[in-house]
Amino acid sequence: MHTALLTLAASTTKVKGPHIDWAGLSPLLAILGGIVVVLMAGLLRPRFAREQLVPGLTLVSLGAALGLTIWQLDDNKSLVAGALRLDGLSTTLTCLFLAAGIGTTLLSWRAMAPRESAHGEFFAMLLTSISGMIVLTWAQDTISLFLGLELLSIPLYVLCATEMRRATSLEAGLKYLIVGSVGSATLLYGLALIYGATGSTGYAETAAAFSTHSLSTDTLALTGIALVVVGLCFKCSVAPFHQWTPDVYEGSPTPVTAFMAVATKAAAFGVFLRFFDTALIDAQGTWGPALAALAAITIIVGNVGALGQSSLKRMLAYSSVAQAGYMLAGVVVSTSLGVRATVFYLAAYLLMNLAAFGVVIARERETGRGDDISAVAGIGASRPLLAWPLTISMLALAGVPATAGFIGKFQLIRATVDGHYAWLGIVIVIGSMISLGYYLRVIAAVWTGDAVESAQVATGLPALAGGSPDAEVTGPAAGPAWEVTLVAVVFGAAIVVFGVIPQPLFDFVARAGSAFSNLI
Amino acid sequence: MQTTAWLVLGLPLLGAITIGLLHKRLPGKTAGYLGTTLLAGSFLCAVLTLLSLQDRGEAHRQVVFVAWDYAKTVGLDAQLSILIDPLSLLMMCVVTGVSTLIHLYSIGYMVSDKGYARFFAYLNFFVFSMLLLVMAGNFLLLIVGWAFVGAASYLLISFWYRRTTATAAGIKAFVINVVGDIGLVLGTYFIFRHSHSLDFLTTFKAADAGALGHHGSADLTAGCLLLLVGACAKSAQIPLHTWLPDAMEGPTPVSSLIHAATMVTAGVYLIARMHPLFEQAPAAADTGAVIGAVTLLVAGTIGLCVTDLKRVIAYSTMSQIGYMIMGVSSGAYVAGLFHLMTHAFFKALLFMAAGSVIGATAGNQDLDRMRGFRKAMPFTFGCFVIGGLALAGIPPFSGFFSKDEILLVIGEQGGWHWALYVAGYVGAFLTAIYTWRMIFRAFFGEACPEAKELEHGHLFHAEVHTNPANGEVEDTDVGFPGAEHHIAEQTIEMKLAMGVLAILAVVGGFLQIPKVNHHLDSFLDPTFADSAIRPDSKDGLLYFGLVLGTALGLAGIAIAYRVWVVKPGTSAAVLGRFRPVHRVFVNKWYFDEAIDLVVVRPFAFLGRASRNSFERIVVNGAFVGGSTGVVKASSSAVRAIQTGLLRSYTALLLVGLTGVGLYFLLSA
Repeated sequence: MHTALLTLAASTTKVKGPHIDWAGLSPLLAILGGIVVVLMAGLLRPRFAREQLVPGLTLVSLGAALGLTIWQLDDNKSLVAGALRLDGLSTTLTCLFLAAGIGTTLLSWRAMAPRESAHGEFFAMLLTSISGMIVLTWAQDTISLFLGLELLSIPLYVLCATEMRRATSLEAGLKYLIVGSVGSATLLYGLALIYGATGSTGYAETAAAFSTHSLSTDTLALTGIALVVVGLCFKCSVAPFHQWTPDVYEGSPTPVTAFMAVATKAAAFGVFLRFFDTALIDAQGTWGPALAALAAITIIVGNVGALGQSSLKRMLAYSSVAQAGYMLAGVVVSTSLGVRATVFYLAAYLLMNLAAFGVVIARERETGRGDDISAVAGIGASRPLLAWPLTISMLALAGVPATAGFIGKFQLIRATVDGHYAWLGIVIVIGSMISLGYYLRVIAAVWTGDAVESAQVATGLPALAGGSPDAEVTGPAAGPAWEVTLVAVVFGAAIVVFGVIPQPLFDFVARAGSAFSNLI
Repeated sequence: MQTTAWLVLGLPLLGAITIGLLHKRLPGKTAGYLGTTLLAGSFLCAVLTLLSLQDRGEAHRQVVFVAWDYAKTVGLDAQLSILIDPLSLLMMCVVTGVSTLIHLYSIGYMVSDKGYARFFAYLNFFVFSMLLLVMAGNFLLLIVGWAFVGAASYLLISFWYRRTTATAAGIKAFVINVVGDIGLVLGTYFIFRHSHSLDFLTTFKAADAGALGHHGSADLTAGCLLLLVGACAKSAQIPLHTWLPDAMEGPTPVSSLIHAATMVTAGVYLIARMHPLFEQAPAAADTGAVIGAVTLLVAGTIGLCVTDLKRVIAYSTMSQIGYMIMGVSSGAYVAGLFHLMTHAFFKALLFMAAGSVIGATAGNQDLDRMRGFRKAMPFTFGCFVIGGLALAGIPPFSGFFSKDEILLVIGEQGGWHWALYVAGYVGAFLTAIYTWRMIFRAFFGEACPEAKELEHGHLFHAEVHTNPANGEVEDTDVGFPGAEHHIAEQTIEMKLAMGVLAILAVVGGFLQIPKVNHHLDSFLDPTFADSAIRPDSKDGLLYFGLVLGTALGLAGIAIAYRVWVVKPGTSAAVLGRFRPVHRVFVNKWYFDEAIDLVVVRPFAFLGRASRNSFERIVVNGAFVGGSTGVVKASSSAVRAIQTGLLRSYTALLLVGLTGVGLYFLLSA
């Protein structure tokens, strides 16, 4: 026995692996460890363990990862043989993912979705998706990029369908799976073509190949870029590849929608910035105008589509399409200012959307009217703690001064003007004007509408085969949950604080800009 | 020093917020005492800051404190920063000091007003705004303070909001102030364009280094001219002066605070603060000097004919501010600020005394109905006389030294400045006449019924309170004129405030007596050390000016005495002979009518015309109808392709993919 162990130990030391910077990798490891622990804890029998311990452990894992990230906030080092990189962009975006993860965990703590699909699985899926985001944005070659993308997407397909007794939730999951697969395939195809043109998978090598062989006019490389653009536009829900967004956002459980809107978008824009501003920077003259055109289309389509929607989630879905267009403008210009503006907007966007979704979730549980706009009517008088965050986040999304949304939009417009895309700045302004049409409608409903009676949710749902056992026993969560209100209030307050004192946020995103030494 | 400097700003803000939030719960005079105490604390802090600044070496007396960076990124440095230097400290001391006394006066004067706490909340807010304006360390904060002052003055002028004349006056003041705000903001833009910094000291350094364009460059001149527009609007200089006389609709302490001691001096402060820029743009500075000279003459002539007690003082304010603007625009910075300070003392005093007289006549402000208050109100009369002597520039009262110093510096510059010099002394002569006309008419002669009643120890009460301006019956619910009126003789707080100001009006000029001392000169030197204008003093001109000023002042008083006391019919006779001239004066040179004709009517006409044609056809039809139509149509188009069917999504996907792919292939 003893000798066997010794032999095993000796054999493991002989394995030749690449150098791994464990400290740099620690945030990712914290999440991966959390997945295992949460999955295991979900198997425990007591209800307390499943319903309180599992989300609690999820929060611990996310909090640990956040701490480890903040510890290395200003580091800049290559991890795992150049496959991943920890730098300013990695750390700032990871902070955003983890903040979104913490918010989502709180929002889904007593939600219906984890009860129906079992808590362990739900939260493990959430953590897996976050680990995918981390890999995706830290990636330094196309292989890790694709690995991260799939690690991010597949758990999301499942999460969308976790309210298994609701047909629209299943529909959302299936739709997302099919359309998402098409998107992934397109992206993979594009990456393969770029590999074919440059002969390397690493970003740095790709960039070098572009500059030395002047591939900016190479048909193979350009076709590859076109396919990568389309693939990533799927993930960011950029028009005309946005069509899954309203359906999936509306059908998914609302906490999952919030997570998708905030974290997935941040991850997709992170890789957009990373890949296009590092590996493909030499072809900027070619892809810049294409992305600018897509951004303009997206802004118009998103804002126009959101008008007249009565479902809040659908409205927010179109609004997220429009916001993706705004942020794409920061990618288009390929300047350090553009990077900072995009990451700033991602941070502001996280605050605004989590506040808004928090209110939507709270009202869903209280009224039984789902996410219809009538659910928030008249809450100005009855529920000021929900009315104010919703009002603030709507104003911020519209870009009204004294909110973080205004500063973010201002930065983006400045980036476009500085980067010689002034017309895109004008499109952003026009989009914002149109957007008032639907954001103000929500505010009007909140403050002037007639309040609805709080009603218990009617549980006319079909029985479920093979689902989690406690879904049958307990029924849907009822009554207001303090943690949902907390999320809405904290993020709503943060919108105003960072709108009045934006300097801390400027300092935070300045790290992301410094990650790109090649940009001016 | 940093703490005390921020406290100067913080205490009035605290007062405004506390009184504003608690206005229904503060009993009796609590609001008044609270506001006054906080402001007294603010004054104390200003003095402490002054002392610690004086401890520093001369070269280190311009200190910037930054509380936090609002936004400091590439090309923008918006900070919450205050600049403490001799200039801002002088303003801080004057503003807080005089405002404290006016608060004290208001405790007694406003006591029967139902909006008592509201009044003090506004008053504290106003002082906070004014302090923000003078302490701002950058253009952004200056603009904020500038706009706050305008807003606060609107609130205070329209304080008795049921009075139609008061609300109209408030709107007028606000609109004209906004014109000034626009000038200030645009002017800042012209300067920021070249300096790339909002910070004052950085901008001034850049100006000295020539980074803002060469001497007299077009952008710099445009910037300074626009700043001058801002200064003219706040300081009631022609042609943006028409709001000041109307602002007399506000309660008398407001007239005293805003329209004498603080707000209207903002323009003088602005030009003094921006002197490194104005010296680089001589055309703008000369324009300012001419505007000041014209204003002081025009205001003086109107003051001769107006019969409303407070409006006479208001026109005299305009005229005195004209001196200051003329002074600081021609390099007489210290003299202009000296006059600003002494003027704050004696003008606040005159307004307070006028308030006391108005109290005695139950709200009447018409000079025609006042006579012989001398015996009935000896204290008020004494204050009026001191204020009047200081205003007329009779030695040794404070106005004498400061006014003559301005004119001396202007005279020394020679050339066309002689015209300004002459205008200044003509103005001084007019000042003496109209000031003493007011005093003789109100206090001399046979006592009017109100005065007689007061002599018997009883304050006059009106049966029905009417608005003296249009005869409307007053709504006493919002306060005016309150159940009781108050006069200085019977109210200790009013007496105290007026007494202190009377002393200051007498001794204020001793800070800087020619050939004896020059405290203010040496105190303000760190701020104005970079000024290129250094006139050398000629003794002959100095003595000539002092004698001329005294002689003109005494002559003016003598003429007034002859016309209104010795031979009361004289004014009617003169009036009969110069009826057309009188008509021009009494109609305020037709400025209101001219503005109405040149600005209001054309714009109203254009507005009506465009509402009937342009708006109906182009805006409503094409823009609103067209754009909402486009948006609606595209909205339904977007929803139409959102079928919910995966196959149509995939189809659009393919179309999009083909489009993007084609673009990249074609661009290859």
